[in-house]
Amino acid sequence: MTAEPSAPLRRSEAEPEPVAVDGGPAKPPRDAFLQGLRASISTPGFVLWGSFIGFGAMTHDFGWPLWLAAFSTALIWAAPGQLVLAGALASGAGLAGATFAVSISGVRLLPMVVAIMPVLRSERTRFWTRILAAHFVAVTAWFEGLRLASALPRAERMPFFFGLAAGLVVGSVVSTATGHAAAGLLPRALAVGLLGLTPMYFLMSLERGADGFAEKLAIGLGLVIGPLAGLLTQEFDLIATGLIGGTAAFFAERFRTEQAGS
Amino acid sequence: MTGSDTALLLVAVVLAFLANDLWRWLGVVASDRIDEASPLFVWIRLVATALVAGLVAKFVVAPSGGLAQVPLWLRLAAVAIGLAAYAAGRRSLALGVGAGAATLVCGVAAFGY
Repeated sequence: MTAEPSAPLRRSEAEPEPVAVDGGPAKPPRDAFLQGLRASISTPGFVLWGSFIGFGAMTHDFGWPLWLAAFSTALIWAAPGQLVLAGALASGAGLAGATFAVSISGVRLLPMVVAIMPVLRSERTRFWTRILAAHFVAVTAWFEGLRLASALPRAERMPFFFGLAAGLVVGSVVSTATGHAAAGLLPRALAVGLLGLTPMYFLMSLERGADGFAEKLAIGLGLVIGPLAGLLTQEFDLIATGLIGGTAAFFAERFRTEQAGS
Repeated sequence: MTGSDTALLLVAVVLAFLANDLWRWLGVVASDRIDEASPLFVWIRLVATALVAGLVAKFVVAPSGGLAQVPLWLRLAAVAIGLAAYAAGRRSLALGVGAGAATLVCGVAAFGY
């Protein structure tokens, strides 16, 4: 990053020189935050926003009010969890079933937080700052945050990540509202196209994120079992799909490693 | 939508927030203790992957709402074309999702579903 000539980013004379913690001199937190904010306007950001337009259209289709759709993006901030919530409620799951399914879908966030926290935090990072940063961990923010923040001096990383996350969240909330509104206004063909965005985004994101045989098998099994389980139970079909597909993939991988080892 | 439906949805959204953020908070607490390679953890990740995949398949094969009025062959064609574009574009999400959505739009416009 070269020096920024633009006026809003220039540090005022009165501010004290920031202290470098790790990796050379650091920009003041506000500059790092703005740098993160600008970094959110990128291809991954646009793809994410596109998928939230799809989610907004979907919630319109399911009869959610616009404000609630936008609020769910701001509060939950996990597209898979929101998709599971909307899908489970629409297919007749109760509060308990829907919440449980959302929780299962959120397990993936734990290792992501574990992986990014040592990169973002410095020795002086407070516990609640870490909790707040963890809240913003979701696929796109995590991937871009990890990639971009690692290259920065340590003191800049947390404010940079907050800027990046803030840009992605605000853009996603606006996209959700836009998708919701557009679904009611657009010609039918375009509205249906919006509804197709989310499932396709997830299918391809899953494939992209899958590393190794077991993950790919779990995707394949989930794709097959999901609709079948839906024929049997509408309350617990998602959880059943996860348990059956995930467990089968787990043991298939163990079996494979044993075969290879013997 | 009635007021009580909206209230129920609001409760569902807040519960989903708590159920989801729980894992993020645990991630912070455990960030220097947990072993990502432990069998339990690998298993939980696979369960979550299969769950989301199952949901995607349900949205395509047995959707509710507007997509349900589009015939199955068109939904499958859209996914197939999307996946082909994704693969041809060296796993480009934008290309894949865009091509799939465009297929849906063209199909609905052409056949008037």
